[in-house]
Amino acid sequence: MTTLVRPEQKAPAKEKGVTQQQRPLWLLTPGGILLILIVLIPLALAVYLSLLDLDQYTLRRWIEAPFIGLGNYVESLDSGLLHSIWISVSFSVLSTAATVPIGIAAALVTQNAYRGRGLVRAAFLIPYVLPSFVVASVWRTMLQPDGVVNAWLSKVGVDAGLWLSGPKSYWTLVLVEIWAAWPFIYLMALAALQSVDHEVHEASAVDGVTWWPKLRRVILPYLRGPVLLACLLATLNHINNFTLPFVLFGAPAPDDVNVMPMLVYVTSFQSLRFGLSAAMAVVSLIIIAIPLYVYLRAVRLDVHEEGGKR
Amino acid sequence: MRKMRAATALAGATVLAVALTACGGGDDGGGGDGKTLNVLIGANTQYPDEFQAWQKDISAKFKAQTGAEVKFETFASANDELTKIQTSVVAGSGPDVYAVGTTFTPTAYSTGAFVKLGDEEWKKIGGKEKFNPATLGISGPDEQNQVGIPWVSRPFVMAYNTEILKAAGIDKPATTWDELGQQAKQLTKGDQYGLAIAYKDNFDPWKFVWGMSAQAGNPLVDGKTARLQDPTVRKAYETYFGWLAKDKVVDPAAVGWTNPQAVAAFAKGKTGYFALTTTTAANSLNQGSVKGKWKFALLPTVPPGATSRPAGGVEAASILSGDNLLVADYSKSKDLAFEYVKLVTDQEVQLDYYKKFGNLPANAAALQTLAGDPTLGPVTEAAKKSVATPFTGAWGDIQLALTNVAVQSLPDLAKGSISTAQIEARVADAQKSAQSALDRAK
Repeated sequence: MTTLVRPEQKAPAKEKGVTQQQRPLWLLTPGGILLILIVLIPLALAVYLSLLDLDQYTLRRWIEAPFIGLGNYVESLDSGLLHSIWISVSFSVLSTAATVPIGIAAALVTQNAYRGRGLVRAAFLIPYVLPSFVVASVWRTMLQPDGVVNAWLSKVGVDAGLWLSGPKSYWTLVLVEIWAAWPFIYLMALAALQSVDHEVHEASAVDGVTWWPKLRRVILPYLRGPVLLACLLATLNHINNFTLPFVLFGAPAPDDVNVMPMLVYVTSFQSLRFGLSAAMAVVSLIIIAIPLYVYLRAVRLDVHEEGGKR
Repeated sequence: MRKMRAATALAGATVLAVALTACGGGDDGGGGDGKTLNVLIGANTQYPDEFQAWQKDISAKFKAQTGAEVKFETFASANDELTKIQTSVVAGSGPDVYAVGTTFTPTAYSTGAFVKLGDEEWKKIGGKEKFNPATLGISGPDEQNQVGIPWVSRPFVMAYNTEILKAAGIDKPATTWDELGQQAKQLTKGDQYGLAIAYKDNFDPWKFVWGMSAQAGNPLVDGKTARLQDPTVRKAYETYFGWLAKDKVVDPAAVGWTNPQAVAAFAKGKTGYFALTTTTAANSLNQGSVKGKWKFALLPTVPPGATSRPAGGVEAASILSGDNLLVADYSKSKDLAFEYVKLVTDQEVQLDYYKKFGNLPANAAALQTLAGDPTLGPVTEAAKKSVATPFTGAWGDIQLALTNVAVQSLPDLAKGSISTAQIEARVADAQKSAQSALDRAK
């Protein structure tokens, strides 16, 4: 006879949670498929188009458009792309740099409760809520040669000249972008401020810290992660902003504000050179991706980890 | 990023279109019962309700004639239209009939996606003879290769303030550019200006430059060669900029004006001439204080610096402006499409369209009935004296390059002086991009 020997339970009790191998990675499939469909395939297509001589003459049978290798890339570097990238990047970095102090200051102002705080907070969001098109139209009207801005300035004896053409148009673009974009930094900074624990404020109060050291050494470190992230997002938004320069200046744009999206737009939809504009897009993607990568490595944007370490 | 989005749109449209063509079967055949014809047409923001009513009316007429439905699809801007054409061309399916602007017709032609009109096709729409001959000037590169069927005309003319001219003792509007400049000087005093010019408009500047050059015998494109670095072009820019920078006969604020802003300025009744407008501006003018005090006049047809047109010069009163109808090559209902084209280019429908929207008929008989109208006389004359811009797929780029010269010159203009050297340097850039566009033209 055989006796059934019960296998001994030698395995240790299972750990709570899941192990490395057991992670339900398949749950990522929907997201992954979407990512492939809306990011990777178009990206691959753009790279492919950038190697074709695709324009209005070949558009109809675009699959058969002549393959010209790096021809479009050579031409794009020769047709003002680098100038446009420089304008785009400098304008974006300037705009971000200017909006950060404004945004943080606004967040600090609305941090503590007082009568009418809700109203102030709502008012701060107005520039952010207005559609870009409206912002640009209103500013364009105000900045006409005989518009209200010049009328005010002439009252104090300043002859401001042209805002929407020539070298000053660059500063117009920066100013309007700052006006429209600072509430984004404000929102992110405000969210971070709200997450500062009550005890921190109490502890500072007990220690008798005055407002400036408290702000600098206690509060601002809390803002670091969210604000650095906001800087990144804001800069990318500035670089991608097409509506603002298009409505402010029209196409063709003055050379001083011929930002990358405008250049790509004119190349694609007025000159109808889709291959060339795809090459421009790829070049700018690469040129912008490198400093982005460096930035991401340098600031180690791990908001969660920081929250955990607290 | 934006360029990515454009590519995505193209890719998306392709995928969709492939799917759609796979599903849709061929449905060509005799009668139109139960069929639908898709027509792409520009939205009318000025008279949206009347436009809706017109569409309904045409649909009813078309149904009575053919038994088929017309489905109108509207586009809000030239960009919308272009995107629609691009995606349809790539996909090989979309609207059956397109209404496109005249200057865009060469670009549309270069895609090769539209039906070339042979004798048979012309017969289907009632014959070539029924159109104002000038309007056929931009239907194709030559008689054998026409794709565009003239639908409406919007010739450019000047508007002038009858009271201001009368007060200055000017009894008839200028017919040469020099005379116009002279009169403008005479009319400029105090807060009154001789001319309203939309210097910052994205389309106006090249029309002046092309017109003056063509009148001097240089149509800007000679076969495969761009002729922008030509004395006629420099003279045109000098004249055009000179009104503001040298003669000071234009409000300095005009460096910031687009065409509607110039209309508004002229409507205030403080300007002698408004140099580039169409009949569609009539409503705005009649709402201003200039009401009852303005008239249309033909634009000058003698080039700057001359008292008569030189040999080889063309009597170009306006660019050939308006809309053409194109039938898509991929259309499965071409017969119906031509029936629709015939319907909307017939005299009665054309006159009705003019009454509702102010666009002149392309139909010769319909245009003739308007010639007797004293206010419209100059406009119908301009429609007959309109000259087509060069028929090349490169025209879009050339137009852009010509406008860019004006855009980059605005700061100098505002400072009140622009040198010949500055103009020449910018024109050289324009020549370069115009020539490279022509080199690519197929």
